[in-house]
Amino acid sequence: MAKKTRIKAKEKKGITTAKVMANHAMLSYDEAKRKKTEANFITSMIAKVDEEIVYEASTSQFLSKNPFVQFKFKGSNKGKMLTFTWVDKKGNTKTDKKKIK
Amino acid sequence: MNRRKFLGLGLGLGAAAMMLPSTLSAVNFRETKTSAFEGPKSHTIDDAMTELYGTSKTTVGKVKLKAPDIAENGAVVPIHVSSKLAGKTVSVFQDANPESLVAVFTVPANGLIDYKLRIKMAKTGTVTAVVQDGTTLFSASKMVKVTAGGCGG
Repeated sequence: MAKKTRIKAKEKKGITTAKVMANHAMLSYDEAKRKKTEANFITSMIAKVDEEIVYEASTSQFLSKNPFVQFKFKGSNKGKMLTFTWVDKKGNTKTDKKKIK
Repeated sequence: MNRRKFLGLGLGLGAAAMMLPSTLSAVNFRETKTSAFEGPKSHTIDDAMTELYGTSKTTVGKVKLKAPDIAENGAVVPIHVSSKLAGKTVSVFQDANPESLVAVFTVPANGLIDYKLRIKMAKTGTVTAVVQDGTTLFSASKMVKVTAGGCGG
Protein backbone atom coordinates (compact mmCIF):
# COMPACT_ATOMS: atom_id res chain seq x y z
CA MET A 1 0.00 0.00 0.00
CA ALA A 2 2.29 2.69 1.16
CA LYS A 3 5.14 3.81 -0.98
CA LYS A 4 8.73 3.58 0.05
CA THR A 5 10.06 5.87 2.73
CA ARG A 6 12.71 8.14 1.34
CA ILE A 7 15.82 8.25 3.47
CA LYS A 8 19.03 10.18 3.17
CA ALA A 9 21.74 9.73 5.75
CA LYS A 10 25.10 11.41 5.73
CA GLU A 11 27.96 11.23 8.17
CA LYS A 12 30.27 14.16 8.74
CA LYS A 13 32.77 14.53 11.56
CA GLY A 14 31.13 11.79 13.58
CA ILE A 15 27.68 13.23 13.38
CA THR A 16 25.15 11.59 11.15
CA THR A 17 22.34 13.64 9.74
CA ALA A 18 19.36 11.74 8.51
CA LYS A 19 16.53 13.13 6.47
CA VAL A 20 13.47 11.00 6.19
CA MET A 21 10.31 11.49 4.26
CA ALA A 22 7.62 8.97 4.96
CA ASN A 23 4.84 8.45 2.50
CA HIS A 24 1.61 8.79 4.41
CA ALA A 25 -1.61 10.74 3.98
CA MET A 26 -1.69 11.72 7.69
CA LEU A 27 -5.44 12.28 7.80
CA SER A 28 -6.39 14.12 10.96
CA TYR A 29 -9.82 13.63 12.48
CA ASP A 30 -11.13 16.84 10.93
CA GLU A 31 -9.78 16.10 7.49
CA ALA A 32 -11.07 12.56 7.62
CA LYS A 33 -14.54 13.76 8.54
CA ARG A 34 -14.59 16.04 5.54
CA LYS A 35 -13.44 13.27 3.25
CA LYS A 36 -15.79 10.82 4.94
CA THR A 37 -13.05 8.35 5.67
CA GLU A 38 -11.38 7.18 8.81
CA ALA A 39 -8.60 9.16 10.38
CA ASN A 40 -5.23 7.57 10.07
CA PHE A 41 -1.83 8.95 10.88
CA ILE A 42 1.61 7.85 11.91
CA THR A 43 1.75 7.39 15.64
CA SER A 44 5.28 6.27 16.12
CA MET A 45 8.55 6.50 14.26
CA ILE A 46 11.76 4.80 15.09
CA ALA A 47 15.21 4.69 13.52
CA LYS A 48 17.93 2.21 14.29
CA VAL A 49 21.54 1.60 13.37
CA ASP A 50 22.69 -1.93 14.17
CA GLU A 51 19.75 -2.53 16.51
CA GLU A 52 20.62 0.59 18.45
CA ILE A 53 17.89 3.17 18.59
CA VAL A 54 18.98 6.54 17.26
CA TYR A 55 15.62 8.23 16.86
CA GLU A 56 12.31 7.68 18.51
CA ALA A 57 9.18 9.75 18.24
CA SER A 58 5.54 9.49 19.21
CA THR A 59 3.62 11.68 16.84
CA SER A 60 0.11 12.99 16.49
CA GLN A 61 -2.21 13.86 13.65
CA PHE A 62 -0.69 17.28 13.16
CA LEU A 63 2.38 16.31 11.25
CA SER A 64 2.14 17.35 7.64
CA LYS A 65 1.09 15.02 4.89
CA ASN A 66 4.03 12.86 3.86
CA PRO A 67 5.87 13.85 7.01
CA PHE A 68 9.45 14.94 6.74
CA VAL A 69 11.78 14.69 9.69
CA GLN A 70 15.43 15.40 10.15
CA PHE A 71 17.53 14.24 13.05
CA LYS A 72 21.15 13.93 14.05
CA PHE A 73 23.07 11.41 16.06
CA LYS A 74 26.60 10.51 17.02
CA GLY A 75 28.54 7.28 17.09
CA SER A 76 27.93 5.89 13.69
CA ASN A 77 29.99 5.60 10.57
CA LYS A 78 29.68 5.38 6.86
CA GLY A 79 28.44 2.18 5.38
CA LYS A 80 26.21 1.23 8.27
CA MET A 81 22.57 0.59 7.68
CA LEU A 82 19.95 2.99 8.96
CA THR A 83 16.60 1.34 9.45
CA PHE A 84 13.54 3.51 9.69
CA THR A 85 10.17 2.19 10.75
CA TRP A 86 6.83 3.86 11.24
CA VAL A 87 3.59 2.57 12.66
CA ASP A 88 0.27 4.20 12.00
CA LYS A 89 -3.01 4.29 13.85
CA LYS A 90 -4.41 1.32 12.01
CA GLY A 91 -1.36 -0.74 12.87
CA ASN A 92 0.21 -0.60 9.44
CA THR A 93 3.93 -0.52 9.55
CA LYS A 94 6.65 0.16 7.05
CA THR A 95 10.35 -0.36 7.35
CA ASP A 96 12.99 0.90 5.00
CA LYS A 97 16.75 0.78 5.01
CA LYS A 98 19.45 3.01 3.71
CA LYS A 99 23.21 3.01 3.94
CA ILE A 100 24.83 5.93 5.71
CA LYS A 101 26.99 7.85 3.29
CA MET B 1 6.23 -34.29 7.07
CA ASN B 2 8.23 -31.72 5.20
CA ARG B 3 5.17 -29.93 4.08
CA ARG B 4 3.91 -29.86 7.62
CA LYS B 5 7.14 -28.34 8.83
CA PHE B 6 7.05 -25.77 6.09
CA LEU B 7 3.56 -24.67 7.00
CA GLY B 8 4.46 -24.48 10.63
CA LEU B 9 7.43 -22.29 9.81
CA GLY B 10 5.23 -19.97 7.80
CA LEU B 11 2.84 -19.59 10.70
CA GLY B 12 5.69 -18.86 13.05
CA LEU B 13 7.04 -16.16 10.79
CA GLY B 14 3.62 -14.60 10.46
CA ALA B 15 3.25 -14.48 14.21
CA ALA B 16 6.67 -12.88 14.54
CA ALA B 17 5.72 -10.22 12.03
CA MET B 18 2.54 -9.46 13.95
CA MET B 19 4.51 -9.02 17.14
CA LEU B 20 6.79 -6.42 15.62
CA PRO B 21 4.85 -3.19 16.17
CA SER B 22 4.49 -3.70 19.89
CA THR B 23 8.15 -4.43 20.45
CA LEU B 24 9.43 -1.61 18.28
CA SER B 25 9.39 1.26 20.66
CA ALA B 26 10.88 1.43 24.10
CA VAL B 27 8.66 4.30 25.16
CA ASN B 28 5.49 4.89 23.24
CA PHE B 29 3.99 8.06 24.58
CA ARG B 30 0.77 7.47 22.73
CA GLU B 31 0.16 4.46 24.92
CA THR B 32 1.59 5.63 28.22
CA LYS B 33 0.33 9.20 27.99
CA THR B 34 -2.75 8.89 25.84
CA SER B 35 -4.50 11.68 27.69
CA ALA B 36 -1.89 14.17 26.55
CA PHE B 37 -2.62 13.36 22.93
CA GLU B 38 -6.37 12.97 22.92
CA GLY B 39 -9.31 13.76 25.14
CA PRO B 40 -10.43 16.69 27.27
CA LYS B 41 -6.98 17.36 28.71
CA SER B 42 -5.27 17.74 25.35
CA HIS B 43 -6.76 21.00 24.13
CA THR B 44 -4.46 23.57 25.65
CA ILE B 45 -0.71 23.55 25.84
CA ASP B 46 -0.76 23.84 29.63
CA ASP B 47 -3.10 20.91 30.11
CA ALA B 48 -1.28 18.66 27.67
CA MET B 49 2.05 19.53 29.23
CA THR B 50 0.72 18.72 32.67
CA GLU B 51 -0.54 15.40 31.40
CA LEU B 52 2.80 14.60 29.85
CA TYR B 53 5.24 15.85 32.44
CA GLY B 54 3.13 16.38 35.53
CA THR B 55 3.74 20.09 35.49
CA SER B 56 3.37 22.97 33.08
CA LYS B 57 6.03 25.12 34.70
CA THR B 58 8.87 25.70 32.29
CA THR B 59 12.02 27.73 32.24
CA VAL B 60 12.33 29.77 29.10
CA GLY B 61 15.67 29.45 27.41
CA LYS B 62 18.40 27.00 26.42
CA VAL B 63 16.18 25.71 23.68
CA LYS B 64 16.26 27.00 20.14
CA LEU B 65 13.11 26.94 18.13
CA LYS B 66 13.09 27.95 14.52
CA ALA B 67 9.81 28.48 12.79
CA PRO B 68 8.62 30.88 10.11
CA ASP B 69 7.04 34.19 11.16
CA ILE B 70 4.41 33.81 8.52
CA ALA B 71 3.45 30.46 7.09
CA GLU B 72 1.76 30.84 3.75
CA ASN B 73 0.61 27.28 3.84
CA GLY B 74 -0.58 26.00 7.17
CA ALA B 75 -0.39 22.42 5.92
CA VAL B 76 3.39 22.55 5.92
CA VAL B 77 5.01 24.56 8.69
CA PRO B 78 8.68 23.71 9.09
CA ILE B 79 9.85 23.56 12.69
CA HIS B 80 13.40 23.18 13.88
CA VAL B 81 14.15 22.40 17.53
CA SER B 82 17.69 22.29 18.78
CA SER B 83 19.39 22.43 22.14
CA LYS B 84 22.72 21.71 23.75
CA LEU B 85 21.03 20.26 26.81
CA ALA B 86 21.39 16.59 27.58
CA GLY B 87 17.66 16.22 27.72
CA LYS B 88 15.74 12.99 27.89
CA THR B 89 12.70 13.96 25.90
CA VAL B 90 11.72 16.70 23.53
CA SER B 91 8.15 17.62 22.78
CA VAL B 92 6.46 20.02 20.43
CA PHE B 93 3.15 21.73 21.16
CA GLN B 94 1.02 24.27 19.32
CA ASP B 95 -2.30 25.91 20.10
CA ALA B 96 -3.77 26.22 16.62
CA ASN B 97 -5.27 22.76 16.36
CA PRO B 98 -7.95 21.02 18.42
CA GLU B 99 -5.30 19.06 20.28
CA SER B 100 -2.07 20.71 21.20
CA LEU B 101 0.55 18.00 21.36
CA VAL B 102 2.31 17.35 18.07
CA ALA B 103 5.17 15.02 18.83
CA VAL B 104 7.29 13.64 21.63
CA PHE B 105 10.83 12.55 20.90
CA THR B 106 12.82 10.29 23.13
CA VAL B 107 16.46 11.25 22.92
CA PRO B 108 18.59 8.10 22.69
CA ALA B 109 22.08 7.81 24.14
CA ASN B 110 23.76 8.91 20.93
CA GLY B 111 21.09 11.29 19.82
CA LEU B 112 21.52 15.01 19.54
CA ILE B 113 18.70 17.42 20.13
CA ASP B 114 18.42 18.70 16.64
CA TYR B 115 15.07 17.84 15.17
CA LYS B 116 13.34 19.16 12.13
CA LEU B 117 9.80 18.36 11.31
CA ARG B 118 6.86 19.74 9.40
CA ILE B 119 3.55 20.28 11.07
CA LYS B 120 0.03 21.31 10.19
CA MET B 121 -1.58 24.37 11.73
CA ALA B 122 -5.23 25.18 11.25
CA LYS B 123 -4.79 28.84 12.14
CA THR B 124 -2.36 31.31 13.61
CA GLY B 125 -0.92 30.01 16.84
CA THR B 126 2.06 29.62 19.08
CA VAL B 127 4.47 26.75 18.73
CA THR B 128 6.20 25.64 21.90
CA ALA B 129 9.13 23.28 22.15
CA VAL B 130 9.97 21.68 25.47
CA VAL B 131 13.14 19.87 26.45
CA GLN B 132 13.08 17.82 29.60
CA ASP B 133 16.43 17.82 31.38
CA GLY B 134 16.20 15.91 34.60
CA THR B 135 13.23 17.38 36.40
CA THR B 136 13.44 20.78 34.78
CA LEU B 137 11.57 21.72 31.67
CA PHE B 138 13.14 24.19 29.30
CA SER B 139 11.03 25.73 26.64
CA ALA B 140 10.94 28.08 23.71
CA SER B 141 7.89 29.51 22.01
CA LYS B 142 7.24 31.18 18.76
CA MET B 143 4.20 32.71 17.18
CA VAL B 144 3.47 31.54 13.67
CA LYS B 145 1.02 33.44 11.53
CA VAL B 146 -0.87 31.21 9.20
CA THR B 147 -2.44 32.85 6.20
CA ALA B 148 -4.08 29.72 4.78
CA GLY B 149 -5.31 26.99 7.07
CA GLY B 150 -3.78 23.57 6.82
CA CYS B 151 -6.51 21.58 8.43
CA GLY B 152 -9.21 23.63 6.74
CA GLY B 153 -7.81 24.12 3.26
